[in-house]
Amino acid sequence: MDITAVAPSSRTVPRGLVPAGLVLGGTLISLVGLTWDIQWHSDVGPDTFFTLPHLFLYAGSAISGLASLVVVLLTTADTRRAKDVDPIVGGRAVGVFGRTFAAPVGYLISGTGAALFLVYGLWDQWWHGLYGFDAVIDSPPHIGLLLSISITMVGTVMVFAVAREQRWGTYGTVVGAAALLVFSMVTSLGLRAVPSALVNPVSVGTAFLAVMILVMAAHALDRRGGALAVGVTVAVLQAVFWWFSPWAAEVYADATGLPLRDYTDGIPAVPNMVPMCLIAVAVAVELLRRLPVWVSGAVGAALIAACAPLQRLLTYGAPFHVNGRYLATIVVAAAFGALAALLGRRFGHMLRLLAPAKENSHA
Amino acid sequence: MRRTLLGLLGTAALLLGLAAPALAFEPVNVVHTEKVQAGPYDLTVGFSTWPLKAMQSLDFTFAPEGGVADKKGTLTMLRDQKPVNDAPLARHPRKREVWGLDVRALPEPGTWTFRFDLDGPAGAATGELKNLQVMDQPGPPMGLSWAISTIPLFGLIAFIVVAWRRTRTA
Repeated sequence: MDITAVAPSSRTVPRGLVPAGLVLGGTLISLVGLTWDIQWHSDVGPDTFFTLPHLFLYAGSAISGLASLVVVLLTTADTRRAKDVDPIVGGRAVGVFGRTFAAPVGYLISGTGAALFLVYGLWDQWWHGLYGFDAVIDSPPHIGLLLSISITMVGTVMVFAVAREQRWGTYGTVVGAAALLVFSMVTSLGLRAVPSALVNPVSVGTAFLAVMILVMAAHALDRRGGALAVGVTVAVLQAVFWWFSPWAAEVYADATGLPLRDYTDGIPAVPNMVPMCLIAVAVAVELLRRLPVWVSGAVGAALIAACAPLQRLLTYGAPFHVNGRYLATIVVAAAFGALAALLGRRFGHMLRLLAPAKENSHA
Repeated sequence: MRRTLLGLLGTAALLLGLAAPALAFEPVNVVHTEKVQAGPYDLTVGFSTWPLKAMQSLDFTFAPEGGVADKKGTLTMLRDQKPVNDAPLARHPRKREVWGLDVRALPEPGTWTFRFDLDGPAGAATGELKNLQVMDQPGPPMGLSWAISTIPLFGLIAFIVVAWRRTRTA
């Protein structure tokens, strides 16, 4: 009955925006679930498979995964009917399982991440059955789950980068990269399994990932202010989660009749993992554009590693000493930051090549 | 639009409906106890599983005679006499009348010591639960668990390598 009313408005939605928006929305729901869940364990405690923060994590991957699956199936159907497939929807289609499926490469990656999330969910269930529900964020299955969501987030950035010449593509690339950066700060906690006597591997890892994602987004967008836009968006997410995470944990505890832990510090855990100096790093990436990219990468990563213990001093009052390990961490982070910037520039270039037709028109 | 909104509301209701009954958290079930004498204070340490295995989580309870209301203290956990962790004694979230650690695992096998520094009406005192034996972790070796769990990372790297090679001349 509403067909005539709906048809004109549906034409105004740019092609590819709806599935891209769903995939991005799913990743943001996953990010909300993650910051809420970690804060819940820190401030309240008890865990089951079906807490509300867990459901956000599952729902986020489900939404991203189903949107990706629908796009792949529609693209496969169009390919079989020999219809033209518009690469603005997730990039060029590639054959999967021979030519059984035709999958736009961005949605192939985002969907693969969501499918892996299911597999690692089973692995995590088995793990908890054996070891119990100790809320350790950096257990092997949790890192597998975080890596799976990260892959969905990489696919999301690809999907939007394809449409970077349109406004929604630019905004989506910035928000997708910012979400990936914030999420990666938690994933890098897996590096606590690495020997840490000489340097802090988590500080080096966060510096590496932050610089790589900033530089990647800046080169994918190839315009002034790209890195700064990602840095500002990360700061906005950090600020929102700083308020949201303890608030949501407390509201959920009240709703379920559970008390807050004694000695809860109330400091938002996930937002505090994000370097507060990231905007300064983004400004450095913008200002040092004329120099070789590895220079800004090394400077940015060294700044992140240098500021990490200062941030812990500011928020937790943790003791801070300038010692050999601190200085070695800064030096190693600078070296990894230089590499991260080179990789980020190359990845940005690869993202630009996802839609070659647009590449020509842009030049 | 109306149908979409109804769908979203239905999904939210389903999520909340599932979450509510699932939030029946298990009670703390102590299956083994040990006694610790800290000066004038008698302390009963409870374990929800016994014996202890590395990485396998359980509920610990620390119940001083006369209750926790007028006392405070610190728990220091030592492995082979080396301090691993110390924190104020906090009430157990699911058994608020005693102190405790909820669903906590000891990460490494070996001989552990729990040192209790207590302060209360009878003054400050220290007591230790010594020779707490923690057996080897169950399950596969950690190397194998990490190998399984980092497959997505290596898969992503493999994808990047392929994409890199295909775009090298572009």
